[in-house]
Amino acid sequence: MAAPLELSCWGGGWGLPSVHSESLVVMAYAKFSGAPLKVSVVDNTWRGSRGDVPILTTEDNIVSQPAKILNFLRKQKYNADYELSAKQGADTLAYIALLEEKLLPAVLHTFWVESDNYFTVTKPWFASRIPFPLSLILPGRMSKGALNRIILTRGEPPLYHLREVEAQIYRDAKECLNLLSNRLGTSQFFFGDSPSTLDAYVFGFLAPLYKVRFPKVQLQEHLKQLSNLCRFCDDILNSYFRLSVGGISPAGQEMVDANLQKLTQLVNKESNLIEKMDDNLRQSPQLPPRKLPTLKLTPAEEESNSLQRLSP
Amino acid sequence: MCNLPIKVVCRANAEYMSPSGKVPFIHVGNQVVSELGPIVQFVKAKGHSLSDGLDEVQKAEMKAYMELVNNMLLTAELYLQWCDEATVGEITHARYGSPYPWPLNHILAYQKQWEVKRKMKAIGWGNKTLDQVLEDVDQCCQALSQRLGTQPYFFNKQPTELDALVFGHLYTILTTQLTNDELSEKVKNYSNLLAFCRRIEQHYFEDRGKGSSSIRSS
Repeated sequence: MAAPLELSCWGGGWGLPSVHSESLVVMAYAKFSGAPLKVSVVDNTWRGSRGDVPILTTEDNIVSQPAKILNFLRKQKYNADYELSAKQGADTLAYIALLEEKLLPAVLHTFWVESDNYFTVTKPWFASRIPFPLSLILPGRMSKGALNRIILTRGEPPLYHLREVEAQIYRDAKECLNLLSNRLGTSQFFFGDSPSTLDAYVFGFLAPLYKVRFPKVQLQEHLKQLSNLCRFCDDILNSYFRLSVGGISPAGQEMVDANLQKLTQLVNKESNLIEKMDDNLRQSPQLPPRKLPTLKLTPAEEESNSLQRLSP
Repeated sequence: MCNLPIKVVCRANAEYMSPSGKVPFIHVGNQVVSELGPIVQFVKAKGHSLSDGLDEVQKAEMKAYMELVNNMLLTAELYLQWCDEATVGEITHARYGSPYPWPLNHILAYQKQWEVKRKMKAIGWGNKTLDQVLEDVDQCCQALSQRLGTQPYFFNKQPTELDALVFGHLYTILTTQLTNDELSEKVKNYSNLLAFCRRIEQHYFEDRGKGSSSIRSS
């Protein structure tokens, strides 16, 4: 339990700790179960692998794929499902299957296959985090993998044309979002008051769809209409990921706060000094009040006026 | 389960007759509808539905469980049939190619195997070993068993599409002879699932079997 657990995953943006669904699922689960994960973000140096991200590395194990990573964490006693009943555990499996079958193809399509989105948002983002010359190859390969997956699992006849497949998968995804919204209702998490595996999966799939700014946004629009799902994502982001939004580590954030405080104090001191100096100048005998004949006010009121002008 | 009169026919070119290339399909008047999802919708449009009594949350659960069954059991069955070398060699090739003359039986069987393997790779099952697949099946059966509990059907008293789907898969797994019986052993571990299958078989198939000729004439 004290072994350092290192997770390497894709980095964040648009207010999310990670833009990649599977990485986000693992991060969310780790936060929910209290697992001490050291997150190392894939960047454009040659360090680390980026094939099967997310990858969990411990002293003697390397675990890839979210399902296996979550199993591994559970075995290490970091279990977010401790309070679930057997039926709720079964429901979790069923809903995860629903997400993977109905929602994932559309999410993959929005990110990787839809040409506007892919060329303006996804490809530049990922290419900037992969070292040259892999950055020319890897995003293309990921895109082809996504397209393959969609075609092979959904593109069976009579849906011969990609357009019809697209229409079908978006219909399925919207239905899935509606079902999730119905199931969540007004509660804070899917099973009671504490988050579980299902919450991690739903968050991982929905949050990128919700936050990343795309040119072609039909699924995003639909999601935004389901206010309880949006609230769910925002809640989790605020409660569990507030300190590491934008990729700044908690230590960095505190330093920024401290700097801000010091700056504010300095400014305050400066303004106090300026006030005092001005007071002294006003009260010094070198400035005879009679030199300003236009002022009809009495000297007492003059003083109060000048003080008022100085105060912020 | 809907009390609809049907006649079951086995044809070798069933996959080609079907509009989507998949069996089963139903032929009603001059309409042909294939696959469980569309058939259910077609039957619903004609006024018969098993899931009308469910509320929204239950319908969501039912859809989720159906996806679980499709995701895990169906893929595991495909894996076992086409990616496990022992089963492929002894049973699947022979069975799949049996209606066709040589060399067509070999060619079609290999083509289908290549297609299935491609699909497995695309969804990430390409690198799974048989043990991992069996573990997944076990998890799925455990989930189904926990959901069923001691009730007669998944949503209490009335059978729904989920019951039909689960019955179809489990019955096939339990009754098909394969080179290794581990898959059916996994299912047999869960006694309430076994009882469920037997109950449906007795209630809907054996009773009907006695009166099938009378149903056809109606």
